[in-house]
Amino acid sequence: MSSSLAPECNEVKERYDSCFLKWYSEKYLRGKGQKDECAALFNDYKHCLTVSFPTLTSRIISDDPKGALKERGIDKMLEEAREDHKDSDAVHMRRTCKFIAEQN
Amino acid sequence: MKVFSNDCTFNYSWEEVSTGNWVKYCPWNDQSTHVIAVDTLSRQVDPKTGILRTERLITCKQSAPQWLNSLMGSSDVSLVFETSYVDLASKKVTMTSSNMTWSNLLSVHETVVYQPLSERQTRFSQEAKITALCGGWQKVKNAVEEATVCRFSENARKGKEGFESVLEMSRRVFSEERQKEQNQRKMVAA
Repeated sequence: MSSSLAPECNEVKERYDSCFLKWYSEKYLRGKGQKDECAALFNDYKHCLTVSFPTLTSRIISDDPKGALKERGIDKMLEEAREDHKDSDAVHMRRTCKFIAEQN
Repeated sequence: MKVFSNDCTFNYSWEEVSTGNWVKYCPWNDQSTHVIAVDTLSRQVDPKTGILRTERLITCKQSAPQWLNSLMGSSDVSLVFETSYVDLASKKVTMTSSNMTWSNLLSVHETVVYQPLSERQTRFSQEAKITALCGGWQKVKNAVEEATVCRFSENARKGKEGFESVLEMSRRVFSEERQKEQNQRKMVAA
């Protein structure tokens, strides 16, 4: 498994990743993936990341004093990236345009 | 803008490749060492379509050419945001990613698609659109774009080699696991 950007989250990440990989190969790919069996582990991992992000930001900033992180912080940058990816959701989630859905 | 595109075929089923894809940057991949961390930020299965949507934060550490560094004043750590979609119904994995750092100077949008060619073969297609945003001379922009394309193609070559070793190891480990399970079942039955 790969590491986490926050080394303190490596352990919870490893547990979640193993659970996900098992679920993906044994359930999801066989069409039995309706139930998210790794939700509790994911919450632990996500909590760890959320707690670590401020420290992470300052760690990256000290490496890169002129970088964008100092001005905006990782949360803000993620928000922007998410916004930027909205178009690909429309394409890859097989979403119908709202006005077409309303007509049907 | 410059476009980098690359296609290749893996001699593994789509199921194997799409599973291996989640562990592409593990220690079995001794080639793509520029990826130092991969974090999952969100993941859901869409109840209507069954599409698995995942958001990940990918951290890379790779030195840029010195002239580019002095131009951008950036460290060698860069962050990439990736949204991926696994569409089980049409057997297609699509991964879209873009750069979070250096984004005031450079925009990199990459799309990777994995689709089955046959029962035992999977096609990988990659396309990256690279645009230098720095104001100023066209010459500088071109040089920034060219350096990025060059790095992309180098990483793509290493990526294929590294992923091949991940797939090989995964196949071995999965078959060992299956063997173990079978043996256990036999023991229980006996």
